[in-house]
Amino acid sequence: MNTTHEAGDSAYDNLSALLDGELSDQGARLAIRQLRDDPTRQARFAEYCAIGDLLRGQHEDLPGLTRKVMAALDDEPTVLAPLRKPREKRPLLWLAAAASAAITWGLWSALPSQESSAPLAAIPTPADVMPYLVAHQDYAQAVLTTPEMHYTRVALSGEAR
Amino acid sequence: MSPTRKHRFAAFSPQGIKRHVGRPSVFLGRVVWVLPLCVASAQAAPSPPPTALPQAEAAVWLQKMADAARHMAYEGIFVVRQGDNIQALSVSNRLVGQGDESRLVTLDGNLREVRCSKTGAVTLVSDGNQVRMEKRLSRRHFPDLLPANPRALLNWYDVRLGEPARVAGLDCRNVEVLPKDAFRWGYILCAERDSGLPLKAVLVNGNNQPLMQYAFAEVKLAASVGPSSNALKPPAWATVHPTLLPDMPEPARPVETEQIVARILPPGYVRITAVKRHLPNMPGEVEHWVFSDGLTHISLFLAPNSKPAHSVRGESARGMVNLMRRQVGGFQATVLGDAPWPAVETIALGLEPRK
Repeated sequence: MNTTHEAGDSAYDNLSALLDGELSDQGARLAIRQLRDDPTRQARFAEYCAIGDLLRGQHEDLPGLTRKVMAALDDEPTVLAPLRKPREKRPLLWLAAAASAAITWGLWSALPSQESSAPLAAIPTPADVMPYLVAHQDYAQAVLTTPEMHYTRVALSGEAR
Repeated sequence: MSPTRKHRFAAFSPQGIKRHVGRPSVFLGRVVWVLPLCVASAQAAPSPPPTALPQAEAAVWLQKMADAARHMAYEGIFVVRQGDNIQALSVSNRLVGQGDESRLVTLDGNLREVRCSKTGAVTLVSDGNQVRMEKRLSRRHFPDLLPANPRALLNWYDVRLGEPARVAGLDCRNVEVLPKDAFRWGYILCAERDSGLPLKAVLVNGNNQPLMQYAFAEVKLAASVGPSSNALKPPAWATVHPTLLPDMPEPARPVETEQIVARILPPGYVRITAVKRHLPNMPGEVEHWVFSDGLTHISLFLAPNSKPAHSVRGESARGMVNLMRRQVGGFQATVLGDAPWPAVETIALGLEPRK
């Protein structure tokens, strides 16, 4: 049975490649044509799409998926041999990376973007800063001492560097 | 097609899932091994962090600490630790009519003294053979850190009860006042068991790492502060250098016409002060605005400047104090405070010339 399944998997390899967008134009056309003409292939393609949706958390409308997965599990022999970890990138990692990038972009773009600052280089203490630090002590937590500060020049958009 | 193509969905296909799970008996056997480890680690783990108090209970704790610092007499010595620097100060607070008067004197380093009363506050600074007197805009200092009406803080801070502790020989209870966002630091205050007077205060960053600490080394509370020790005596060093400089700066006066506007403020911050004042060692007047959420204060200084300079960012050790200077219209704007960088940056970048 296992052999049959592996042979079956091999026959449908171009479906997963089609889903990943890794086929050439010619290969994609061939895969779509096969998909159009073969109900079994259509079912397998739907199954792959469902698995992808499940991994992405888009699984609200998948009637019978659990039943199908469990039935397929029951049909399979148990393999006790260690499974070699595939080296290729998994879709899950790509999803996580994409989500992370989206969150980072969202946070970055939520900051005041008109004049975002970027540190350039450390500079000596500006001459007239100390009176301000002392005056702020009226409200500061350091009651009677001014903190040691270090300074960097920053460039704001719209400002000559 | 690559030779590994057939494994593309191997891990996610039904057979692949089953390979990872294995037989139920094997799986259960693993659970049997893992469960005791989980139980052991749970037993070894520290107690979970306290949950935030309900608002009503939190408000009671904050109000008790705020009232104690304002309305009870005390005197003692406290130590301030900021990074590698340690400074000892004596403090006394006595009740006068409906208000209070306090005095703060440095015990090491340069001689300085802060005197606060209901009429205002001044700082006395030893300057060679003379004593210079400087006007002070705020009259609050440790242990008076909370605003008179601290309930509004609960919009921006969670309050949690920490462990009991002992400071300066007195029992106290840690009360954590922790920010809900990135625009303010947090405080861990140790409230004296009976009065609620903060005996210790730790300023912490977002990772609960201490930025600054105050702690009484010794303190006498209301009942034990006698009449003689309760009175504010002239500073001992004033008898050595009795001369006050004649050119005490004139009091700060309100800003009349505002040429700069703060378009964006961090959540919860409002402007509480806007004055024109002379600063020591600085020619001319500057505008001094102060923004606060009741616990954190950020200053804005506006000085006329026709020659635009580069923008500058300043940061103290451990990032407790942050500063940003930039040109806004015809003014050099300097924003600084004991506040996280996002709060200082938000105010600085939100400044615009008034149209």
